[in-house]
Amino acid sequence: MNIDELKDAWKNEEPKGMNFQAEVAMTSKTTSAVGKIRRNMKTEFIAVLVSYTMFTALMFYGVQSVLFFNVASIFMFIIIVLNCFYYFRFYHFYKSISRYDLNIKNSIRKITYELELNAEIYKTYNFCVTPLAVLITFVLLCGNNGLGFMHYVLASKAYISPLNLLIAFAIILISFVITYICINHHVRTQYGKYITELKQVMDDLGDEE
Amino acid sequence: MDTKQTRFLQLMEENKGILFKICKIYQDDADDRHDLLQEMTLQLWLAFDSYRAESKFSTWMYRVALNTAIAFFKKQKRRPDGEKIPIGFDRAEENTLAGEKEEQLIVFYKAVQQLNKVEKALVYLYMEDVPYDDIAASLGITPINVRVRINRLKTKLKEIINNMNYEYR
Repeated sequence: MNIDELKDAWKNEEPKGMNFQAEVAMTSKTTSAVGKIRRNMKTEFIAVLVSYTMFTALMFYGVQSVLFFNVASIFMFIIIVLNCFYYFRFYHFYKSISRYDLNIKNSIRKITYELELNAEIYKTYNFCVTPLAVLITFVLLCGNNGLGFMHYVLASKAYISPLNLLIAFAIILISFVITYICINHHVRTQYGKYITELKQVMDDLGDEE
Repeated sequence: MDTKQTRFLQLMEENKGILFKICKIYQDDADDRHDLLQEMTLQLWLAFDSYRAESKFSTWMYRVALNTAIAFFKKQKRRPDGEKIPIGFDRAEENTLAGEKEEQLIVFYKAVQQLNKVEKALVYLYMEDVPYDDIAASLGITPINVRVRINRLKTKLKEIINNMNYEYR
């Protein structure tokens, strides 16, 4: 056999077994990489709203500490402002994503760039927001010890001792490390495989004359 | 149903062979093929406003469809792209077909599954007799590069088909 000799058979081939309804497909959900990530972001946004509701309920009814309430309220406000800013950006980002270009190389380059950019924005967003959320959770999980320590550090009239300062820094550092590990893992699973595959296509399209 | 939708569906019906072939080239699993077909139709519909009648609908269609197929990621838990078709596969199923050419076409499709996404696009465009300049414009590479790649592609296909115990001239 020879592919040139197959051209006629190829052209005469009937679309057999193509039981397909275009009307249904036109209203279906996209399975493209960008589409999937957009849907994940929507789910994440809902999860964020649910967690805020739970945090608020906990602050009002769960923990009986004035200091914790005051500090957590300020933290929560910062987190909400950051969330609003980033989700607004994500919303505009996805709205502005252009459709396929008719040149495959440009099109793949554009999608790869958009995915990489979004991954970076996502990382920045989480580095801003998550450590604050981790700190609040950490204090809550430590119960009275956590609240006592927080009270000691924030409400004391004396200078904080070097050891307690180190403990406070260590807690903050741990929250950043946890964030770093989780975010990197999440970004790798969510974006990594798509970006790698698209970069492979870009490499395959590279000029080699 | 509005006029735009009716026109789109009519054009889809007239040119469905394009999508059928691209699906066969890009996916060897029936479910994945169906998913790709659905995604291509959706992308064509979403991009339909950008279609200008300056070029043939079929040209516009295969460009959008190829773009979609290249950027398409199959669902997990199915056979990954890289997995090879077993060498010397069972030909009993193909022998039931009437013509020798049809049987060769089946072998050809199986061989094509072992190519990468860009090579698959080249195969489609080459088999459709798209001029080299148009292939170059579609892929975003130079016409010389297209010529070089097609020659390499033929050599690669020859090796794959020979490894499948078929004679390739």
